[in-house]
Amino acid sequence: MRRALEALALPLAVIAIWEVLAAAGALPRYVSRPSAIGAELWQLARSGDIVEHAAVSLYRSMTGLLIGALSGIVLGLLSGAIRPVAIFFDPLVAFTNPVPKIAILPVLIVWFGITDTSKIVLIAITTFYPCFLAAYAGVRQVQPAWIWAARNMGARADQVFLKVLVPAAMPHVVGGLRIALALAFILMFASEAIGTAHRAGLGFLVIFAESGGRFDLMLSAIATIGLLGFAADRLLLVAARRVLRWQPEVFRA
Amino acid sequence: MRKGLLRIAWRASSVLLVLAVWEGISRSGLVNPRLFPGLGAIGDEFVSLFTTGLIWEHLGATLIRVAGGFSAAAIVGILLGFVMARFALFGRLFEPFFSATYPVPRVAVYPIFVLAFGLGHLSKIALVFLECLYPIAINTYYGTRAVDRQLVWASQNMGASPRQVFWKVVIPAASPHIFAGLRIALPVALVIAVITEMIGATEGIGYLVAYAAASLSRAQVFAGVLVIAIVGFALDRAITLARDRFIFWQRPGVAIG
Repeated sequence: MRRALEALALPLAVIAIWEVLAAAGALPRYVSRPSAIGAELWQLARSGDIVEHAAVSLYRSMTGLLIGALSGIVLGLLSGAIRPVAIFFDPLVAFTNPVPKIAILPVLIVWFGITDTSKIVLIAITTFYPCFLAAYAGVRQVQPAWIWAARNMGARADQVFLKVLVPAAMPHVVGGLRIALALAFILMFASEAIGTAHRAGLGFLVIFAESGGRFDLMLSAIATIGLLGFAADRLLLVAARRVLRWQPEVFRA
Repeated sequence: MRKGLLRIAWRASSVLLVLAVWEGISRSGLVNPRLFPGLGAIGDEFVSLFTTGLIWEHLGATLIRVAGGFSAAAIVGILLGFVMARFALFGRLFEPFFSATYPVPRVAVYPIFVLAFGLGHLSKIALVFLECLYPIAINTYYGTRAVDRQLVWASQNMGASPRQVFWKVVIPAASPHIFAGLRIALPVALVIAVITEMIGATEGIGYLVAYAAASLSRAQVFAGVLVIAIVGFALDRAITLARDRFIFWQRPGVAIG
């Protein structure tokens, strides 16, 4: 209880000071005020507007994440287990990993237009990297003794992979997924802010509200993006803790 | 010897394969070459970015934003991490705040920063600072807390002053973690600079690429992307080299944190 109060102390203090200063007129108009944002959010939630924008944004980010994470994890696990695969992919990933993937958004827009496809492809490419690297590192750090033990007991190569390497790599994979999840949200906002067709998505809403001077709406959309990012991360942690019940407590929030 | 050569060839094969496939698609005529320029056209455009001098102004602007935001975040983040680790009250106040807001996409506040700081350098530097602060502060905090107690006790036993303990024991022991944080933050700095330049700016590589895309000069888009890629790669090499020099007692390439 005391810990929870301490944890909330800083954010609550910021919100209180923000409200008081805004009420006193000491802040510029574009920071709005917490009570106005809260009222706007309530309105948006009741009318369902925010749900529609959020659904479009989540569709883009989660589809991209699914494709990127799945291919990254599978290829990463295989690279960790099979040497020629690693020798093939490692230089490619090592060379392109430090490159900011957002740079290719204009290229994707050239190819696919300002569509959901270009956003999904961008998010898939971006989220591939942390998942690949984490899965690869996860397999590489497995103690050789475990593999020897499994082989000793007569496990075939595919059994060693599925029953030893993959489960042992899972904590790393979850770490990679967390990074990928955060990236998916960042690129969701960025790609929507840069260009959106059919006027939908939270990133679009932020830019639209800003250009219209509707700062309470803009901050409501920003708050929604923040809440979704936070909730998705917590959801992932809860799921990981359930699936990896046999692991010692490694995923403290 | 033979085996070594074969190995190098296999290692380079993936990169070469991608380039070959690219060139093949571009030459096949299946895709409009305007949408899919060949490597030669991209190379020409890349060279002309430099010979015309067009790139320097944009590259300079981007690098100022990366350097400004990153170094400010490094100074504040490392200090904040030390303070949080040293004084329990700060740790208890800030740690939950950082870990709760870590998954929140902070880039969404960029429009507010534009309203507050304008479209120039300052709004970008502020966002780069904010994004870089998280990994640096958190890694410093955990790195400092993870310093082996026995090292501290041993040095105190031998008569080290608190100041000496901090400079000679705590900082070196925590520095691998601090560098891990810096290495996470540096590519983030470039990503954020480019994103913000694409969303709203008047100069910078991100702006250049977005502008080239809008004016349908596709080869220039790819050339700009290539510049960003090289900068990203060079920054990563630079921080890795700095780390290997500074933390010379750890074997290079050891994954930390």
